[in-house]
Amino acid sequence: MPPTDDVLARLQQLLREVFGDDTLVVSDATTADDVDGWDSLMHVNIIIAIEKRFGVKFAAAEIASLKGEGQNLGTFRQLLTRKLASAKAPPG
Amino acid sequence: MTSPDPDALATFRSDLAAGRWEDAARALRRAVDPALDFTAAAALARQLGKLRAARAAAGAAPKRTLGLALLSNYTATQLAPLLDLFLFAAGVEASLYVPDYGTLRQEILDPGSELYRGAGGAGPGISTVILAASWRDLAHVPAPGARREEAAAAVAREVADWSSLWNALHARLGCQVVQNNFDAPPWRTLANHEARDPSGLASHVARVNVALQDAAPPFVTIHDQDHLAATHGRWTWGDERFFHLAKLACAPECQVDYAHSLASLVAAQQGRARKCMVLDLDNTLWGGVVGDDGVDGLRLGQGDAEGEAFAAFQRWAKGLRARGVLLAVCSKNDPAIAREAFDRHPGMVLRFEDVACFVANWTDKATNLRSIAEQLNIGLDSLVFVDDNPAERLLVRQLAPEVAVPELASDPAEYVRSVERHRYFQTVAMSDEDWRRADLYRADAARKGEEAAAGGLEAFLVSLRMVARVTPIDAASLERSAQLVNKSNQFNLTTRRYSTADVLRIAHDPGWVTLTVSLADRFGDNGLISVVLARADGDALEIDTWLMSCRVLKRGVEQLVLNRLGEAAAARGARVLRGTYVPTPKNGLVAEHYSGLGFRPMGSAGDGTTRWELDLAGRAPLPTHIAIAPS
Repeated sequence: MPPTDDVLARLQQLLREVFGDDTLVVSDATTADDVDGWDSLMHVNIIIAIEKRFGVKFAAAEIASLKGEGQNLGTFRQLLTRKLASAKAPPG
Repeated sequence: MTSPDPDALATFRSDLAAGRWEDAARALRRAVDPALDFTAAAALARQLGKLRAARAAAGAAPKRTLGLALLSNYTATQLAPLLDLFLFAAGVEASLYVPDYGTLRQEILDPGSELYRGAGGAGPGISTVILAASWRDLAHVPAPGARREEAAAAVAREVADWSSLWNALHARLGCQVVQNNFDAPPWRTLANHEARDPSGLASHVARVNVALQDAAPPFVTIHDQDHLAATHGRWTWGDERFFHLAKLACAPECQVDYAHSLASLVAAQQGRARKCMVLDLDNTLWGGVVGDDGVDGLRLGQGDAEGEAFAAFQRWAKGLRARGVLLAVCSKNDPAIAREAFDRHPGMVLRFEDVACFVANWTDKATNLRSIAEQLNIGLDSLVFVDDNPAERLLVRQLAPEVAVPELASDPAEYVRSVERHRYFQTVAMSDEDWRRADLYRADAARKGEEAAAGGLEAFLVSLRMVARVTPIDAASLERSAQLVNKSNQFNLTTRRYSTADVLRIAHDPGWVTLTVSLADRFGDNGLISVVLARADGDALEIDTWLMSCRVLKRGVEQLVLNRLGEAAAARGARVLRGTYVPTPKNGLVAEHYSGLGFRPMGSAGDGTTRWELDLAGRAPLPTHIAIAPS
């Protein structure tokens, strides 16, 4: 079933590009361990792609934590959604 | 540009699927660009992997021609595939050895390291080593408040450290070294005083960078990383998050251009730099259409912003010409009208004499580009075609795909950047010949006129009053000799490429004979134009490499060289000279070189390679019209 959330759909598209796999399907429950080849090198490549394509910036600690214990694509998506919202919020 | 040309990518996919390897490779090369964003470039690097895997599975893998090691104390896992991709785009099939990060010094100093134990397996031996250093590798930063003498001593220690690494590499591998200079970090604890205070880090970096350039021997090329950091912006270049997180020495987005910059240097060492910039006229060199607007109606030079931008582009082109890049013109125009703009418009920076080959007609540009390459005696793959018209660019890309055709910004103020960012005319060393090349080509034109006037060839050769200087390869001729070995394609019997380091080793080896010829005539000095490397083999002298600049074809230099080779062979007690011709797509010119000089055929191989031999007993020297200068 395709992801219904817009951010998740964009994430999936981007992960397909980064991993060079047009059949990759992800959900909120997906963890780095579930995706073949999602090692620390690919993790950096994923962050680079998200920053560039979504126009957001992660703190060093955020980048590291996203691959940590108990994290999945859902926590990733929530952080990204928050960043997108604050980028759009009016100043002050 | 952040994503690749979708047409090129689609062509690549269908050619790959159909097993059309060369077409697929060409399409992939077209998609590669130094302005791609990291994600797009990394995706193309993966496509290159697919192409290579498919070719290998089909038993059609191209030969790897360069063994390359990338050493760094930082993470190079992102940089390496990009470097490989840009080398591929420049026509170099490299096999890369990338040891773990943090092992730069260990790999070099440990005689048992993988680097020295045939790293890379069955591929070519490592002949180039890149030291991807960054400012964090500086080992002798002066203490805060250090005095001038202490800071100077720190610079000297730093340079001595790196020199010893170069020498260790060279002693074991005989390789070329590409050494990053140091990128000054963006922050300055001493604020503006940082650059002046001898203990300032920025000051130290600047001094070390100058000293490194001065200390680099011919086998070391300094890669100007600090310039890259400055052009990208130092805060952007040194994205600290990725250093703290993954020990990346510079921001991932900058690594694409960084890899391109390194690859362009390595490719230039392999003779892959372009040689000639072919320029359109209307709306490329000036604003307006000279045939419609007239010379006086052109926008060029002082007075308006657009005119000044065109003049600035011309000044940049003139600077390239001054250092040896040939300029040509390829324009759809009436030749007399086009010429009039050069002669009469006060805003013209380029003179008609700056143009080595001037073509203004109504023939299609692909045909004209072929004719320009032929007239200048260079390959189509040495040309860069600069034209504001997208339709002309498309035509040339389709019909003459060997020619590099940069996308040109619509604003002439961005023309320089549009071309320069591709690093087409990368250069690893400058010789006297480079500085004088444009004049040499003009003198060639004068000689051609003379040849027509002189009547007979013999009389023409006498009238040239040629004087040759023949010497073995020595310190003065090393760089130019190595340059010729790595870029001569046409008059080159075997097209064997040797790095400067290899040439140096051969020159010092008593088992080898080396010869260089410099030729002057009444029109000027042609500089060093021929190189021969020959190896003693029993009672024979085996000619390993014989090459010559095509500018001095049919002047008797070949005969002169043969006479000298005969003397050198006889002096060593050799009885025969042996030669080999290895055919390439470009050296058909010399297929009959040895038979023309009286060698007898000794058989041929399946690939068209022919072997030749000349008995030296009782042989008289061949006559020439070249006087020998005292050496």
